[in-house]
Amino acid sequence: MPKRRDILAIVLIVLPWTLLITVWHQSALAPLLAIRKACHHLVKEIFIIPERFAVHHHRLSDEGGEGKREAGGQDSKEYCASDKDIVEVVRTEYVYTRPPPWSDVLPTIHIITPTYSRPVQKAELTRLANTFLHVPNLHWILVEDSQRRTPLVTRLLRETGLNYTHLNVETPRNYKLRGDTRDPRIPRGTMQRNLALRWLRETFNPNSSQAGIVYFADDDNTYSLELFEEMRSTRKVSVWPVAFVGGLRYESPKVNAAGKVYGWKTVFDPHRPFAIDMAGFAINLRLILFKPQAYFKLRGVKGGYQESSLLRELVTLNDLEPKAANCTKILVWHTRTEKPVLVNEGKKGFTDPNIEI
Amino acid sequence: MATRMKLKLKTVFVLYFMVSLMGLVYALMQLGQRCDCSEHDLPKDRAISRLRDELYRLQAQIRKLEATKQPQNQPPKSSLPTIFVITPTYSRLVQKAELTRLSQTFLHVPQLHWIVVEDSPRRTPLVAELLRTSGVTFTHLYVPTAKERKLQEGDPSWLKPRGVEQRNEGLRWLREDRRDQNQQGVVYFADDDNTYSLQLFEEMRNTQRVSVWPVGLVGGMKYESPVVEGGKVVRFHTGWRPNRPFPMDMSGFAVSLRLVLAEPKACFDGEAPMGFLESSFLKGLVTLDELEPKADNCSKVLVWHTRTEKPKMKREDAMQSQGLGSDPAVQV
Repeated sequence: MPKRRDILAIVLIVLPWTLLITVWHQSALAPLLAIRKACHHLVKEIFIIPERFAVHHHRLSDEGGEGKREAGGQDSKEYCASDKDIVEVVRTEYVYTRPPPWSDVLPTIHIITPTYSRPVQKAELTRLANTFLHVPNLHWILVEDSQRRTPLVTRLLRETGLNYTHLNVETPRNYKLRGDTRDPRIPRGTMQRNLALRWLRETFNPNSSQAGIVYFADDDNTYSLELFEEMRSTRKVSVWPVAFVGGLRYESPKVNAAGKVYGWKTVFDPHRPFAIDMAGFAINLRLILFKPQAYFKLRGVKGGYQESSLLRELVTLNDLEPKAANCTKILVWHTRTEKPVLVNEGKKGFTDPNIEI
Repeated sequence: MATRMKLKLKTVFVLYFMVSLMGLVYALMQLGQRCDCSEHDLPKDRAISRLRDELYRLQAQIRKLEATKQPQNQPPKSSLPTIFVITPTYSRLVQKAELTRLSQTFLHVPQLHWIVVEDSPRRTPLVAELLRTSGVTFTHLYVPTAKERKLQEGDPSWLKPRGVEQRNEGLRWLREDRRDQNQQGVVYFADDDNTYSLQLFEEMRNTQRVSVWPVGLVGGMKYESPVVEGGKVVRFHTGWRPNRPFPMDMSGFAVSLRLVLAEPKACFDGEAPMGFLESSFLKGLVTLDELEPKADNCSKVLVWHTRTEKPKMKREDAMQSQGLGSDPAVQV
């Protein structure tokens, strides 16, 4: 008899406290989360996928699967419930202004792309430009591996309408061809990336308040628009998974439960200081400006250690910020374009060389 | 003594219970109301109001721009001919990447309707989700290719024609869905690994019958192109089998919707010999002198027949054989 009473007493004591704690926990966190997401969503909804909100006709055919995305607007409604006027105003037709208007609030993303002349160059830069034209506050730093700026790239950059800087530096021929172990080749694009870093350091004052993010984007990879929004909140160096590198479906940083990077999920030399691809990280501009000695190492860099040669001068493993849902989503793919087979050109060239491809 | 102690304990318990219950009720009541947590939200509120001002400013800017555009002779968007882009696609590692960057290009083109046809017995969630979040107007179809017509592992890419059933399915849907409407439109076949410039779509928009233009990096050459003399196509500049009726690549021509609907029998013939796929479709629609040359009388390259390398999966395969492959739940 006393046993039952004791149990009842214990239950009566514990129950209200557990209820209290769970309910209080929920209510305290939810408003904070909502506000943060609301800010994020405002930016996303306005700039990234405005087509969602376009007025559209809705066809409900049996073939199914047709139609524009219309449920997206509901997300922002949930969070910004108090600001009904914002949600209404955002629902406008997609305005095909290229690129999106410059915002005073968003940090600028400086994208450094080394490029070199080859048949697929114009195609690669064209589709890269088509991607970048969707990203607000983007500054494209294109560095050619050539003695002087080529008219092809100059014209292309001008016609896109993007905010760009066109640089060039030629990698000395002997560095490209020599293959002996004592003087290994410079990995491709190194001098070009270093030139861009130097340009940034010369152009931007470390004391100015201009927020910026630096990202190295090769011209043959594929980038999703979500990636750029993920990297915009970088404080020091942020990292995420990259598909199709290292002979795997994807390589990714290892993130522990506390949200910190503690290792690298790769097969190829996972003990590198930073076992990550060039497309897998972004650096805050302030960090680049505060450490003016940090560059990619030119000579004596083993394959796969290029990224480490820069990152180890900037940041430690502990400071890395994992993005893309704690490094579980793939937002960038290391695609490579096949070299086109030009057999039918023959020795003298069959096609008119004046036509630019 | 013992009873008094017990009594005290009992009252303590009762008191404790009442207090905690009251506290819970109070907390629940507080939840229902709007909290006055100004000290948390101040910096975030500031950010939101800053963004909101920014938004209003930009909207005003856009409205101003649109207002100044009206007096010009720009046709309102709804009367622009729709470009129907038919893309056959199939599941492979780079599929998501290819469709992503294709959607990024298409998102810039007004009045574009993307018809994606999967080589699959059903709609895959990967493609469905990608299309849904892309922002492009789309139709998602599917038709599987018969096994004997499919390329097997290790076959060279030219051995069997690809995408035939899928393109035909796209045409079938178009003929079915748009048969009653008299709207202007253009049909274009865009493979998912090529590269398209934005200007191309503006060139093809006013196609009356079939328009043509050069294609870069195809046919073993820097570009293949129709040869234009006096504003008309007289022959084709190609390094491979120039005696085909229409020696062009799939991405080098567009057909007006009216013509597609008027000739319901015209479709791609999977049995045609290698390189004759385009001709099998076009010969039922148009003759050589009816072709409309675009891209500055076929002197500019606005589309490139790029191909994406198959990513090397050596280490992945090795890891999978050990049971340590990368997480298949992560979609690539």
